Amino acid sequence: MKNNNLLAELLATWEETYKKGQLTLWIFLSLKDGRKYVDEIKTFVEEQSENTMTCESQSLYRTLRKFKHVGVVDFETGSGNKGPDRKYYFLTELGLDLLDTFIQRNINLFFNKRIKNLINKED
Amino acid sequence: MKAFTANLMYFAISFFLGAIAFHYGLSYSLESNYFDLVWILAIFYFFFNFLIGWHFGKKDYESIPLNDVGFRFHFVTYFLFNSISMLWFSLGLNSQYESLRVVYLIAIFWGIILIIHFILYLLERRKSINGLSKEDLFE
Repeated sequence: MKNNNLLAELLATWEETYKKGQLTLWIFLSLKDGRKYVDEIKTFVEEQSENTMTCESQSLYRTLRKFKHVGVVDFETGSGNKGPDRKYYFLTELGLDLLDTFIQRNINLFFNKRIKNLINKED
Repeated sequence: MKAFTANLMYFAISFFLGAIAFHYGLSYSLESNYFDLVWILAIFYFFFNFLIGWHFGKKDYESIPLNDVGFRFHFVTYFLFNSISMLWFSLGLNSQYESLRVVYLIAIFWGIILIIHFILYLLERRKSINGLSKEDLFE
């Protein structure tokens, strides 16, 4: 019982640290999947991460403004569903290059046979 | 980096109007020998500038958190205040108690502080990409 509590506490602490910075990868992946407006990005991130990642719309807008400012993301205005026009975000060429390079250097490691075996290895 | 943001422009317009009102009030009070009014005006002017700086500065940071240690707002304040002061004298709108020498001295000493602020801004810029802090960009 005590060990279970400790495990839960350690896991929560590790995940909290691990998730910091993860949102960028999820946003980029959602935009690589296709142009999206903020609510669609939010849904993509939550669904595809199996709800391990959550994000508020306001926080997404703020993050997207920063990404647009540095030129990795841009938007086009498109018609909304019976409502006002929406901003449809997409990755720029720089954004796509950044994501691809990041994945090559940091994500593909986990598909290395030895690491994959270690991850799948039973204790 | 887009330095002149919408909120900085609203601040500049508000500051410009406030500075004109202050200079008019100051010259009028001095010329009419209402010396006590000068203190009230100065205190009111201080709080007015503090409030518009706070309001538009906060909104500006919320819109896009440019890592400029407040330099853009400081520069606009310096430029507008000293330009208006000099223009006030060149148009002959000053009172007999105001001196152009004081205007120059303010511009020089404030200018020195502005240069120090500019150096701090340049140092901070090295920690940024397009004006955004590297630490916060992918948080």
